[in-house]
Amino acid sequence: MWTRIRRALGIDTRQSEYTFEHDPRFGHIAATRVADRWVKTTCGYCSVGCGMLVGVKDNKAVTVRGNPDHPVNRGKLCPKGLSEHHILDAPGRAKLPLLRKNGKLVPVSWDEALTVMIEKISVVQRRYGNDALGVISTGQLVTEEFYTLGKLVQLGFGSRNYDGNTTLCMASAVSGYKLTFGSDGPPGSYADMETADVILLIGANIADNHPILCQRLERNRINNPDSTVIVVDPRVTKTAMMADIHLPIKPRGDIALLNGIAHLLIRDGHIDRDYIERHTTGFEEFAAFVAEFTPEHVAQVTGLSEETIINTAYLYGKAKAAFIGWTMGVNHSTQGAATVTAINNLSLITGNIGRAGAAPFSITGQCNAMGSRESSFTSALPGYRKFEKPQDREDLARIWNIDANRIPTARGLAYPDIIEAAVNGKVKALWFIATNPVVSFPNYSVLVQALESVDFLVVQDGFHPTPTSEFAHLVLPAAIWGEKEGTYTNSERRVSKVNPVVVPPGEARTDFDIFLALAEKLGVREELYPGWQSTHDAFREWQRVSEGRMCDYSKFTWQQLEDEGGAQWGGDRLYADGVFPTATGKAALYSVPCLPFVEQPNEEYDLIFNTGRTVEHWHTRTKTAEVKMLDNMVPNAWLEMNPIDAARLELRPHDRVNVVSRRSTVRDIELRITGIVAPGQVFMPFHFAETNSNLVTLGAFDPISREPNFKQCAVRIEKFSRTIT
Amino acid sequence: MSLPLQELAESATAESIVRMAFADLGQPSAPVATVVTSLIPSRSLEAGEQYRFHFDMTKCIGCRSCEIACNEQNGNPADIHWRRVGEIEGGTYPNTLRHYLSMGCNHCLDAECVKGCPVDAYTKDPVTGIVLHSATACIGCQYCVWNCPYSVPQFNAERGVVGKCDMCHGRLTDGREPACVNSCPEAAIEIEIVNTAAWRVDYAAAESPGMPAAGHTISTTRITLPLNSTTQLERVDTGRIQPEHAHLSLVFMTTLIQSVTGSLLFALLFDGAQPMLLALLLVITSIALNISVFHLGRPAYAWRAMKMWRRSWLSREVLLFGLFFCAIAAFTFAVWLQHLRLIVLAPPLLAAIGWMAVALGIAGTIASAYIYLVPARPAWNMAHTPIDFLLSGLLIGSTLPVTLDRIAGAFSRLALLQPFHLQATATYPHWLPGLAAVAWIANQTVRLVRLNRSSLFEDRAAAALMNTQDLRPVVIASFALPAAAGLLPLCGAFTFATLAAVAAVILARYLFFVSVVPLNMALTFTRGGAH
Repeated sequence: MWTRIRRALGIDTRQSEYTFEHDPRFGHIAATRVADRWVKTTCGYCSVGCGMLVGVKDNKAVTVRGNPDHPVNRGKLCPKGLSEHHILDAPGRAKLPLLRKNGKLVPVSWDEALTVMIEKISVVQRRYGNDALGVISTGQLVTEEFYTLGKLVQLGFGSRNYDGNTTLCMASAVSGYKLTFGSDGPPGSYADMETADVILLIGANIADNHPILCQRLERNRINNPDSTVIVVDPRVTKTAMMADIHLPIKPRGDIALLNGIAHLLIRDGHIDRDYIERHTTGFEEFAAFVAEFTPEHVAQVTGLSEETIINTAYLYGKAKAAFIGWTMGVNHSTQGAATVTAINNLSLITGNIGRAGAAPFSITGQCNAMGSRESSFTSALPGYRKFEKPQDREDLARIWNIDANRIPTARGLAYPDIIEAAVNGKVKALWFIATNPVVSFPNYSVLVQALESVDFLVVQDGFHPTPTSEFAHLVLPAAIWGEKEGTYTNSERRVSKVNPVVVPPGEARTDFDIFLALAEKLGVREELYPGWQSTHDAFREWQRVSEGRMCDYSKFTWQQLEDEGGAQWGGDRLYADGVFPTATGKAALYSVPCLPFVEQPNEEYDLIFNTGRTVEHWHTRTKTAEVKMLDNMVPNAWLEMNPIDAARLELRPHDRVNVVSRRSTVRDIELRITGIVAPGQVFMPFHFAETNSNLVTLGAFDPISREPNFKQCAVRIEKFSRTIT
Repeated sequence: MSLPLQELAESATAESIVRMAFADLGQPSAPVATVVTSLIPSRSLEAGEQYRFHFDMTKCIGCRSCEIACNEQNGNPADIHWRRVGEIEGGTYPNTLRHYLSMGCNHCLDAECVKGCPVDAYTKDPVTGIVLHSATACIGCQYCVWNCPYSVPQFNAERGVVGKCDMCHGRLTDGREPACVNSCPEAAIEIEIVNTAAWRVDYAAAESPGMPAAGHTISTTRITLPLNSTTQLERVDTGRIQPEHAHLSLVFMTTLIQSVTGSLLFALLFDGAQPMLLALLLVITSIALNISVFHLGRPAYAWRAMKMWRRSWLSREVLLFGLFFCAIAAFTFAVWLQHLRLIVLAPPLLAAIGWMAVALGIAGTIASAYIYLVPARPAWNMAHTPIDFLLSGLLIGSTLPVTLDRIAGAFSRLALLQPFHLQATATYPHWLPGLAAVAWIANQTVRLVRLNRSSLFEDRAAAALMNTQDLRPVVIASFALPAAAGLLPLCGAFTFATLAAVAAVILARYLFFVSVVPLNMALTFTRGGAH
């Protein structure tokens, strides 16, 4: 009371909360941010994999710093990383196991939660078969947990229908690499962005999505003033603004452009015949195929001028070292995997691979999407092994001390097919781990049908409620970044150490502990995880499993990773010797046709809908909406529309509009009229559950990678009115 | 005077300073020296120099790390951003250009915040030129918020005081770069030295699209713009203008005190300065002054506001209204004593005291109006503001004495007061309110028309705000009511006229506060993070 009066009168200005102190390491700073100990770790947002130091005071994370000694980020962080400590004690954290009883989620003990989970899943599996359990994992766990989970699902529960949300993100890159090179694994390094003469970024808005990579371009510019950055993107992104040349390509014109460049380089002799001869197969067929991609034809498909196409081709062809980076503009497509092979083609025919500055390079999404690619048991066997190869299965069976017949001979369903199977009643129990499909999966209505069709839905997440956990029968509260120990692998194959900073809130447990407890209840703990107590035990087994493989973890210890700012498996770059892990030892050149995207605009749905990110937010905002500063910076989504279309539709800036597709409608979104987007196209950020872009996106999937085509569908824009029609 | 920073820099090699990086953070015993290109000056300031920000627009990628780093550095709440990032764009697809501004305080040569502060909470640091603000001295009057053309100072309601970017003074003096400089992945922000005399002559490098003209306060921030660009870059946040704070305590304080001044003027002119009227006016004055205190974030320190009367209009207003209260109190007492025949004063002397009170009231009203004549708030910075303040006094003052006399009449019929013969006898002309209303409406009309037709975006935006669904009815009422106040006395309905006049002035004053659009840097499309 007295304090309130003193505050109302202004005698008390909370001065004590606003004092400054001298931090011995980082100098003058708000006293509330002075740490008494620092924990070295790796950022848990995107796959750039920045090294960071988290300051802890009284067992609470109070500040975050970029680790100045970490080779990835050299002390810099993006706004999400700089405020990451705020997510640990956010009010939205899941703290208690919750079980749906009489329609309501009520707190239960861990024992009850896990017992019920095992019971329900057993009932489903007994009645409908083992594969009636579908498990969707994530790119958010530590590698050791992915490794543990894989064994639990495939060997413990015995279900093959296991995939990760990484299928929504980089599956096309994985498939493309496998097709061309015989294995997954991004061949290059971030350092290549500093030394390349030409950097071609295709569908990659790194300034918004991977901002800490931008300093590489800046350094390149300083060291190599003649270098050229070319950004291929239908939208004038922040990254396009950084480019020397922006190619405002028509959506899905990228394959035509890549083939067209290949054709010009072959025609005019700017290719490395020696490299092609020694290290590739299928060149003659490829050369004949791309001959159709004349500048004239490519100009027609891409909307770029012939001159631009020729100029770009020569820049790329004449570069001493050329780098191609890409992200979701390429991957989020029904032709994603094919586009990746087209990128690889270009690198191969010019010999731009396996050398400093020269690589085709996918920039990944989640902090440990790469770790799941290496160690999880989803689209491949752990350690980049193949289900189909008896040798690979036997290898694992020997290490695991099990009968090789227990290891499946083919992968189960991919993510979208698990969802479809749930709708069709073939998958009857779903377990989602650290992912939020209600916002992130395309075509919301089908997804929700799946969630409502299954007999039992488990959502294991660090946050509750999330749009997905609200559908759950069982919510398992999990620890998140900052509460777990293990490793993350970033886009450049760098394995970095992740350390716990604080203990999980309430009764939340690490995903690892949850997996072991489930194994215990299933009666497989001793068999699958003999003597395991911590993720370090998982790491030690994973080292043996990966030994001698491309992603060989036996070469370093946790301590070394922590001390040395991580280590890149495969070294600075892969394929320096030109030997590829294919049957012939050579990389394959593919003839990739350029097809129009699936849902073309017509009279009724006259605009092409594109989605993407904004720097302030992360994926479906379960984390960043909890960081007040970030949420305050960008509190809502918007729809970008070109002034020409706005004039045609008689719309004004800040009008509230609906985005209507054949599937559903995003209602009441703010209109931004801007030259950032091309006439005929609209764009919106996909982070917001409140205006969920996936209400309208298309449920079309890449036939090879199963990645959804998030990027293009046909919509029309209507003025929002409050009356419901 | 030398700073540790400079000593450190001087002892190091030119163009760069040596930093320590700890290979093992557990044991800071094994430092590894790494030389980094410095983003802070490597020499000490000489006489006639100060620090400034340099922002390189060509490097900024709009990642907003600086904003977060600033908030973390200063422990500020999420909605207060001492460093803000804005967006500007132009051109036609695909030749669209978009750029970003990242701005803290511009540490101006002629900082208006410093000049306007009534309590001397601001200092322009004599060594570094940094504009420093003291939360201890601040009383939360927010006059600096109104004065700054960049909307840099921000009021922290939780604390009751203002705060702003101090270029991380405490870090600079320690040889460390400010938090924003430190966080920028693109090295787009740096601290450099500027010769103040030379900058005063040529500050063209401070100008940028999306920034208010630098000349008014002579911003020291140097901005590197993209080369050879002919594209016109424009703000993207202009459709997101929100009404400003209504400052209701100020709405009532100004209305009441202007009413008293006007009433007293007419009472003296028409022989109405009688005991009960004066007593009621005195009561209203003390209510008004008490209300005004609650505009402050720190009401307990209101008395400090008079400190800077030599340069701050706010101090002068407080001082003059304080004196006005003394004068009207003295006049009231004198009239009462005279009426009770306890003392006998010569009529000219008594009148002199009364006219002195009127003069102080008018002077206070003018000082009050001058507070709002700030270039940073163009819709206030018009002759219409002082005219409105004076005319509002006349509009209400032309009927209020009659109404108060009626109230006094009711009082004087109380048995207790009957022996004192307090009945009012004055009569006021019926045409006077009409005249005042015509003048008042004319002033408001001309103001609206001028705002509408102004070449300044902020003026037009203010007019547009008043034309929004929420405010349009208020505008209409603010014109209908004074017309009523002018017409009603013609049929003798003075009390209703008073009510209409007071309501008119309160509504107009409310509009005055909420519809002003301050000068500001360009913000982002969502205006997120902005205050």
